[in-house]
Amino acid sequence: MNFILLSVLTWLATCHCSNERGEKNGDHCDLLKQWLESASVSVEIGKQGFHREVIITVELSPAVLSSARVLLVNRWPRGVFIDPYQLASLRDQSDWQTLLDSAIDLEAPAHKTSGFVSYVFPTPDDPTRRRLKVTIPVHGRYHEPSSVGETFTSVFIQPPELLLRDDKCLQLNNFEPHTVVDAPCTANNSSTCPWVKIQQHQVVLYGSSQNM
Amino acid sequence: MERLISWLTGKRVLFSASFAVRLALVFYGEHQDRTMSVKYTDVDYHVFTDAAGLVAEGGSPYNRSTYRYTPLLAWLLTPNIYLCTAFGKILFVVCDVLSGLLIYRILRLRGLTSETARRVSSLWLLNPLPMGVSSRGNAESILAALVLGTLLCMQGQRLTWAAVLYGLSVHMKIYPVTYALPIALTLRSPETRPEEGKPRWRRFIGFTGSFVNAELLLFASVAGGVFFVLTALFYYMYGWEFLHETYLYHLTRRDIKHNFSPYFYMLYLTADSRWSQWLGLAAFLPQLVLLLAASWAFRCDLAFSCFLHTAIFVSFNKVCTSQYFLWYLCLLPLVIPHLSLSLEQGVGLLLLWFAGQGIWLGPAYFLEFEGYNTFLLIWLAGLLFLIVNCFILIQIIAHYKPTQTPQRLKVE
Repeated sequence: MNFILLSVLTWLATCHCSNERGEKNGDHCDLLKQWLESASVSVEIGKQGFHREVIITVELSPAVLSSARVLLVNRWPRGVFIDPYQLASLRDQSDWQTLLDSAIDLEAPAHKTSGFVSYVFPTPDDPTRRRLKVTIPVHGRYHEPSSVGETFTSVFIQPPELLLRDDKCLQLNNFEPHTVVDAPCTANNSSTCPWVKIQQHQVVLYGSSQNM
Repeated sequence: MERLISWLTGKRVLFSASFAVRLALVFYGEHQDRTMSVKYTDVDYHVFTDAAGLVAEGGSPYNRSTYRYTPLLAWLLTPNIYLCTAFGKILFVVCDVLSGLLIYRILRLRGLTSETARRVSSLWLLNPLPMGVSSRGNAESILAALVLGTLLCMQGQRLTWAAVLYGLSVHMKIYPVTYALPIALTLRSPETRPEEGKPRWRRFIGFTGSFVNAELLLFASVAGGVFFVLTALFYYMYGWEFLHETYLYHLTRRDIKHNFSPYFYMLYLTADSRWSQWLGLAAFLPQLVLLLAASWAFRCDLAFSCFLHTAIFVSFNKVCTSQYFLWYLCLLPLVIPHLSLSLEQGVGLLLLWFAGQGIWLGPAYFLEFEGYNTFLLIWLAGLLFLIVNCFILIQIIAHYKPTQTPQRLKVE
């Protein structure tokens, strides 16, 4: 009699230090550096029950350049799934594209499946926007019944990793403490590119739970 | 009021009005989909359209996950890709109105006056339930038309056509396969000589022999031929996946997600146990016994027998969702003229049926959209709904007036 409970996690990665030196230089790598230091990501989970929305907001300063790219990597637990067909039907209305690392079984219960990774590429119509918002519909899976103990089970959704790159900045070796990782360049999954992964400064999570 | 009803049920007005309302609903649905967050279109319709897109590109419709229908449906809906995405909905709406027309024709053949037949068929044509279902893009109306077409041809003694439509309907969805029994009982040779006094084994041989006649053989070979040719064709084209998704999946299906079935909670709790497969098969037993009994008891009225078959099959099934209700609702108008229920009793039973669903929908909503653990309540509501369905079926059977169907005399 277990039941899904999606716990709401919020992650805020903020850093308020400014970089005086970088502003003199209009170089793309410096802009990327500024981004890395000012970027903030917040996550909230909307709706109740089996059908929820994970709302991710990315704030960047200064505004996004046309050559800059943003990628959100979510590692989803087995307790939830994303419906790729639903995403496809939302494609016209949304300003982001998704890539999933594996095929999704839409019907399997949680314990008969495994987690997966989603790559979300925000593609804002207005490239100078500082605030990118992505609403991902997720659905809870049925869980294995248990005859003893809890009548609810928790599904923890990890905050996304924020990856950044700039087509015109090729020197990615001096971004300490941030690391460089390989990830798909675009939602087409035709090639991988080096991305700068923002170190998580601060993780704030709070759980919302309902009981009977 | 009376004048309004008689004007509404005028033949032309009735059919064109019911078609117009459905078309308007299709257009309204397109509008709602574009402007509102709650979508009008059925989720399955997107599955059909995706599958149609795949076959249009020369691929297999089964590459669309959760597509569990005959490839024929995906083929039928390729104009969704080439012409307009609403094509399928319009096709379903046409089949829906055609079903109403077929109900009318069957009722006329069963000896009803044109006026009464129109009024009874308006129970389907002006019914918001089939209207909503077909205009939202659910394909059940195709099956309703095929099943009703089979019954009309049976009633009108056009056996070959009946067999073709029957073979096609079993190919489309597996559930009409149970109608084989009532159809066979209708087509078997009538018992001519009194059988009393003969030893039991002679009577048994006589009974078995009554199934061997030209009509039954013709029906079986044509229906079987249509079914097997289509199956072989699609097996050749799409392989094992076609057989599995279209037929085997439905036979072995043990859906653990909440639904109206009295078995759902048991199947969820035992899903991983060793007995699960056997429990699933054992759940066919009550259905089998009831279907055999109903077919034998009402072998002289094919339409009534098919109605009972479907209602029993759906109510006692391991998976039961609201779209399944249409399978027997389309046969209900054929049965109503043969019931001695008063209007109040009929309306009372109808309200009871809706109340049974309403009681289930409450906890189901709280589970799915609010996240409460209401599994037990959903199951209890499912059991209550089964009791309600059984009560309604008992009332229908108790108030059934067996009439000598005059169609044979009429045809002569």
